[in-house]
Amino acid sequence: MAKVLIPTPLRQYVEKRDSVELTGGTVAEVLGALTSQFPDLRKQIFNDEGKLRSFVNVYLNDEDIRYLKKDATPVASGDTLSIVPSIAGGAVDVAPSPAVAIPPTSLSSDEILRYSRHLIMPEVGMEGQLKLKNAKILLVGTGGLGAPLGLYLSAAGIGRIGLVDFDVVDFTNLQRQVIHGTKDVGRKKLDSAADRMLDINPNVRIDRYEVALDSSNALDILEPYDLVIDGTDNFPTRYLVNDACVILKKPNVYGSIFRFEGQASVFAYPGGPCYRCLYPEPPPPGLVPSCAEGGVLGILPGIIGLVQATEAVKLILGAGEPLVGRLLLYDALAMKFRELKLRRNPECPVCGDHPTITELIDYQQFCGVTVQEPAPPAGTKEGEIDPVDVKAKMERGDNFVLLDVREPHEYLICNIPFAKLIPLGDLPKRVNELDSAVEIVAHCKSGARSAKACDFLRQAGFRKVKNMKGGIIAWSDKVDPRVPKY
Amino acid sequence: MMVAHAESRFPNECCGAMIGNIDGEQKNVTAAVPMENAFAGEQGARYELRPQDLLEADRRARAEGKDLIGIFHSHPDCDAYFSTTDLQNSCPWYSFVVLSVKGGKFDHAASFLPNPDQTDAEKEELIWPKF
Repeated sequence: MAKVLIPTPLRQYVEKRDSVELTGGTVAEVLGALTSQFPDLRKQIFNDEGKLRSFVNVYLNDEDIRYLKKDATPVASGDTLSIVPSIAGGAVDVAPSPAVAIPPTSLSSDEILRYSRHLIMPEVGMEGQLKLKNAKILLVGTGGLGAPLGLYLSAAGIGRIGLVDFDVVDFTNLQRQVIHGTKDVGRKKLDSAADRMLDINPNVRIDRYEVALDSSNALDILEPYDLVIDGTDNFPTRYLVNDACVILKKPNVYGSIFRFEGQASVFAYPGGPCYRCLYPEPPPPGLVPSCAEGGVLGILPGIIGLVQATEAVKLILGAGEPLVGRLLLYDALAMKFRELKLRRNPECPVCGDHPTITELIDYQQFCGVTVQEPAPPAGTKEGEIDPVDVKAKMERGDNFVLLDVREPHEYLICNIPFAKLIPLGDLPKRVNELDSAVEIVAHCKSGARSAKACDFLRQAGFRKVKNMKGGIIAWSDKVDPRVPKY
Repeated sequence: MMVAHAESRFPNECCGAMIGNIDGEQKNVTAAVPMENAFAGEQGARYELRPQDLLEADRRARAEGKDLIGIFHSHPDCDAYFSTTDLQNSCPWYSFVVLSVKGGKFDHAASFLPNPDQTDAEKEELIWPKF
């Protein structure tokens, strides 16, 4: 038996009872049983077509059935159904303002033409296209994932899209961030993305947020939107977006990419898990490399970003099975999609039954990220040498070995003539190839790996070891601009 | 409580629910539950109640042996009438009290009961508590 709570004004139709116990396996069956037992109630909650009246919401325990399986939502014995009207209003017809325009209820002739391939599908149709037009989506990041998302969501006719990014387009972005073009290098990503999206569909309203999302601004920025799509590439922002979505009760469409693999899911959906149910804590800093460190197949964010776009559109249309409680794993090399079942963790500190995190925290600290990068020393430190001085040594004909500790595939991108290549990982077993009597200058891409190599060599008894400051990137900047940067 | 909430939210519209009991034709409000205006956008002339908040208010009323009997909201710097927007987004089950707040101070109020088709609303008499 399930219990249906009856709002006061409707009790006159149910023999003045405040609740009625009924049997039924789904919401539709329970409400059907209710209205056949009390026929006068029927026209109060259903319209002539037998659908729930527009202002009537039905809650199963604490959840709106619109976000479950609508009237097919299963009802178990002991469940409580509540009938809750949705109520709004305002004095708008006295003080009209464009910002408070009533949601559009029709499409223009141009829009009907533009969206015709949607309109002829019964699953979308006019009703669905209007849902898309009235939808408000926040896209966090306009990079690899944000690029396909921005293109397709604006083309699909989402009415309002917020973009959060503070970055500038650079050449290394163009391999995958297809919303930006070569002509946009040096422009703000926000402007570049918005121009492209408005070119695709001028009906879209685009809100630009040129900020780094953080605990002080996230709730305000997310508030106006129906759902949030996470296209970020770092853990602090990912946890921030997750927690803010849980707090604001907005679905968080998640995606992440690395090298040849990607993941996607829908978090913070009523009843479903959140990102913290999957990963309660971030990995130690440095353990999981970023795309800038480990690389990413340029096509990969296209696939994962469009999985996210598909889920966002489905959520708005209320169509199909959302990717809730399921983590989609994609492996491009094997060309396989797999799925892991996820459950909401009742002990989750954010979305669990007794949450301990009820407001946003310091995510940099939570993820172990040093907030203040130590300022690089002005000069060269003990054990370091500037690329200009390395060049001078070469020209003087000094006897020294230039040791490149990068990987062979990096060496093929660019190298400094006469450098000896021993990848950092091979150094222990190949250390005998080096002569401790001869001075060694080690370099890598930017100086971090070669610093480790120097430490290793010093411990192995080498005395004359120096690290070339800033790596081959600095060499390109200061000595030889023909050496490409990557 | 309702007046204080309306004034505190000025120049935005406020909203909330009224709990009490029904005695024949007369509805007695015993408590007001201020709620957050959930309208996504400029709130100077719009309000929206979160259904979850209403569900919560209904639970509170039941727990106290009372009923959820009405909804209130404010009209900043304009009169307390039932606008077309109010009517179309209301529901015929409850009384709707509108509070006019002018320049941040409560001015007057009126109550309305929408008809079943939400095409019109009947004005109800408001009787204020006596101190």
